[in-house]
Amino acid sequence: GTFGDDESGNFDIDCFSQLEFKESYSSLTCNFTELPPRNTNYTLALCTKEDSNYLCFDMEKRDDVYFLQFTDLLSNKDICVNSETKRKVCWSLIVTDFVKPEVPFNVNITYQKEANEYLIQYSTPHSWKKYLKDKLIHQIAYRQEEGTWKTIESPFLQVKLLGKYLSSDALYEVKVRSQPNGDYFKGMWSEWSTSKSFRTAKEQHLTESSSSVVLVILSVLGFMLCIVVIVLVITFWENRIKPAVWPNLPDHKKTLEQLCKKPKNNFDISFNPDSFGYVHIHKVDGIRARAEVENFLQPSTPQEMNLPEKLRSGSDLKTIPEMIDKSNLNLSVTYGGIWSAEDLHRLLGTNQSAVSEGNCSSCTYEVCHTNGMSLCDEGFNLSSTVPLDPSGQPNPEPLNGDTTLQRLPTSEMSSNNEEAYVTMSSFYKIQ
Amino acid sequence: NPAFFRSIFWILPLLLVLSPVNSTTCTMENKTTEIRMKYENILSHDIEELVNMSAEYRDRCCKNKNNEKVFFCNDTQEIQSLQRMACNMLKFFQKQRLSRDFRRKAALVSCGTLQVLQCKCESHKKEK
Repeated sequence: GTFGDDESGNFDIDCFSQLEFKESYSSLTCNFTELPPRNTNYTLALCTKEDSNYLCFDMEKRDDVYFLQFTDLLSNKDICVNSETKRKVCWSLIVTDFVKPEVPFNVNITYQKEANEYLIQYSTPHSWKKYLKDKLIHQIAYRQEEGTWKTIESPFLQVKLLGKYLSSDALYEVKVRSQPNGDYFKGMWSEWSTSKSFRTAKEQHLTESSSSVVLVILSVLGFMLCIVVIVLVITFWENRIKPAVWPNLPDHKKTLEQLCKKPKNNFDISFNPDSFGYVHIHKVDGIRARAEVENFLQPSTPQEMNLPEKLRSGSDLKTIPEMIDKSNLNLSVTYGGIWSAEDLHRLLGTNQSAVSEGNCSSCTYEVCHTNGMSLCDEGFNLSSTVPLDPSGQPNPEPLNGDTTLQRLPTSEMSSNNEEAYVTMSSFYKIQ
Repeated sequence: NPAFFRSIFWILPLLLVLSPVNSTTCTMENKTTEIRMKYENILSHDIEELVNMSAEYRDRCCKNKNNEKVFFCNDTQEIQSLQRMACNMLKFFQKQRLSRDFRRKAALVSCGTLQVLQCKCESHKKEK
């Protein structure tokens, strides 16, 4: 603090106290702001009024400053100036209002690479003393190579400088000082600590940080892509993915239903034996392997499509031979099934001569085809093979299923009483 | 708060050395805020040091039970009680059996207490 003689205006005094300067002693240091004339001796004294006594202690003169050690911080004191020529002048002094802390020391700078921050740490002697511990505020000043000083204040013994606010690969200088925080002790800034220099990191750290940003962006995009793929898989699983990966096994019934196209006239396809009442069903005694199937599952021609429809009504049977002539209807028979003469007659019509004149291969006898081998090769002729007896009496030659079956693969069917067998298993093999 | 002074001046050893002293009017009775500030920032630290230093003398005092004196702190008389304690503790300064540092610290605490309360002792001389 500054103490002046308002009346004489000859001198002003600046004083500051240092708590716990030496062990439990505190100190008071004063000096004249304007040096008095050298020929005049001035003395400074610190006085305390106790009871009715006024006790003064002269301050020690050291060069141009006056110095005194004391222990009592609680009593009210006066600073008095004595001179030989002038009267004694005193001013009230509260030593806790003019505190000057000790200089900070051990300034240390540490670079934290991950956070790109510079940690500045420092120490103060008051950390192990009793009065000013945790009652100081510290000021950190830094600058770049003879540049302008920038300051930061903190009540703690460390601060952080963000690397993004500093120039890369540059030399910086740091220094620290302290001051009472003003809660009870007041005063002035201490002297600056010794400066400490450090060099900031190079640009590659910034590049690393930017590359990490790119990595984060790519990770996010990859995650979003995975989400999209999962959604697409879930959406198209039932309709497209699963049928392609696990194709459904063919169902016999469904396959047959596809093969046997439903007629427009609501011709019901049924596997009920009662529906085949017009077909003479013979017992099958054996199974023989057949040759290749001739396009049994080819898309049906209009004539083929219409054939089942024509078979439905008896009046249409006459048109069947014409239709079949143009058709390529081949029935693969594994059992060597044969049509009865009556059925064939009904199917092909009464015009036996027309039939007989035609080429067997192009006539209705194509229904007798067994795996491409025509039963008509050996002159299978309706007129000759099938008796015209409407009773449906079979050929005088005994019909032996085995015999008949055995003869079929050799295409030596010359019996007029051969009948065609159409069984379900033939459809299975066609598949 | 009648117990204000009891809450801040809690030194047990001070209770053992109390002796009746003529009461003296202290001028800081109504300035509890200033008393608290001075106690918390300055006097409390000195008292803590004195307590730590008196640890070596604690057993010595307790062995002689005849010297034990119990002091009952009356309500609304905290300042007077503290004054008496501080003035009596000044007697330590005269006991040569105690270490010089302890005596000086005891005197410092006594004088500081009296200074905070703006009291003075009439029956003893305070020595610095």
